Amino acid sequence: MRRAFDVAFAFAAGLALAFLLLPVLALFVRIAPGDLFDALWSDVALDALWVSLKTGLIAHFFVLLVGTPAAYFLATRRFRGRGVLITLVELPLVLPPAVAGIALLALFSRRGLLGQELYALGIQIPLTQVAVVIAVAFVAAPFYVRQAIASFETLDQALIDASRTLGASPARTFWRIALPLSATGLGAGSALAWARGTGEFGATIMFAGSLQGLTQTMPLAIYAQLDLDPDIAIAIGALLVLVSLTVLLSVKLLPSWTRFTSTSLIRSAPSGSS
Amino acid sequence: MRRLAALAAVALLAASCGDDDDGAGSDLDGITVFAAASLTEVFQEIAPNARFNFAGSDELATQIREGAPVDVYAAASPRHPDELFEEGLLEEPRIFATNRLVLIVPADNPAGIESVEDLAADGVKLVVGAEGVPVGDYTRAVLENMGMTGVLDNVASNEEDVKGVVGKITSGAADAGFVYATDATAAGDDVEAIELPEAAQAAVQYPIAVVAGSENAGAAQGFVDLVLGENGREALATAGFALP
Repeated sequence: MRRAFDVAFAFAAGLALAFLLLPVLALFVRIAPGDLFDALWSDVALDALWVSLKTGLIAHFFVLLVGTPAAYFLATRRFRGRGVLITLVELPLVLPPAVAGIALLALFSRRGLLGQELYALGIQIPLTQVAVVIAVAFVAAPFYVRQAIASFETLDQALIDASRTLGASPARTFWRIALPLSATGLGAGSALAWARGTGEFGATIMFAGSLQGLTQTMPLAIYAQLDLDPDIAIAIGALLVLVSLTVLLSVKLLPSWTRFTSTSLIRSAPSGSS
Repeated sequence: MRRLAALAAVALLAASCGDDDDGAGSDLDGITVFAAASLTEVFQEIAPNARFNFAGSDELATQIREGAPVDVYAAASPRHPDELFEEGLLEEPRIFATNRLVLIVPADNPAGIESVEDLAADGVKLVVGAEGVPVGDYTRAVLENMGMTGVLDNVASNEEDVKGVVGKITSGAADAGFVYATDATAAGDDVEAIELPEAAQAAVQYPIAVVAGSENAGAAQGFVDLVLGENGREALATAGFALP
């Protein structure tokens, strides 16, 4: 009986694993390694890589810059409607990308909520690189903010209080205590946000369009090249798999790697205050 | 053994997904038609019960080569149907309609576009079909004929099918785009169409054919006959297509 149970569950596990990994494996089987590198050196692939990197870095910079203090605020303050606010921040997390695209158009297009004013000022955002950055930040930010809130919430309040009673300002406490102690969680959130941003497709193609060297990110280039030159599409796909794998591994390995530094901080902080 | 079980599971999944109520309605119920995006409205009117996949003709051709289960292919250019016919993946294609390109602008025409020449002005956001997509290739051919390929410098986005171009105009993201006359008609009051010089027009032809090895070859041929027949021609003409 027990044996039948084991076999059945092991079978399910094998099935799940095959289902999840076979498509990715098939991608690498489709193209010879040599052709893969040739395809990656094509103008289309290099342009896409550059556009993805540039827009991704800018979007990520703003996500960290605004997201970190926002998450700290939401995590450490108690006020009415806080739960609702945190839920709303997470909304883009579950929003279908196509909805994100049409929502961004509704806000920024010529007849949009903000678009009317912006166009009057001569600022046109749709179909530009700025639009890519906005689309990427919109879908990626919640991944970071959510994780950052969770990290700040688990901070030992005693350490914060100790820092404050020892005369450190709230800003200094944030920089020297809260941030370093939450580094693991923030790093993981940052990596997940980066992965989601790099994969952004639906909102980008609707809101930013697809123009090689300007708005055509790697996922958009895959779509555009699928019928023109499948090798390039597959090569970019393979590259994205590697990027995703790196992100995943860094999220998994980050905790064990930073444990050393953070434990030393945790130990030194209380001993300093006692 | 494991492999067999996995295949069985996939087959089961496929069977449960393709669970149609056979028999009811017309015999076109079970067939799958891959058609150019510009045929979206008219094909759904001709055969409301058929299952459609509307996209760029080139993308559909790629999917047929990859072995997609499809019974009929209708494209916006003879290129891919001819290639598939030569590869033995398609029966002999027949032209069932023709079309022409127009320039469309949003109804309020914010950039004040009146002609193709106006597209060259600084800051105009032009949207076209991507190269390789029929509407994109036709657009480049027409601009070539007019000696106006310079306006392509103002392209803000290369779309993967004609409906993508229409969407960028109706959403107010772009100032102008090249689409088929029938798409301008289908978009209604949201866009304004500007006719292009007759002499510069590209020959937009729509071939249709049964896909080789179709499991519903009879019904598939029935659909092709319907499109080529009286009812099909009437619907196509009403939608603004020209008939061969």
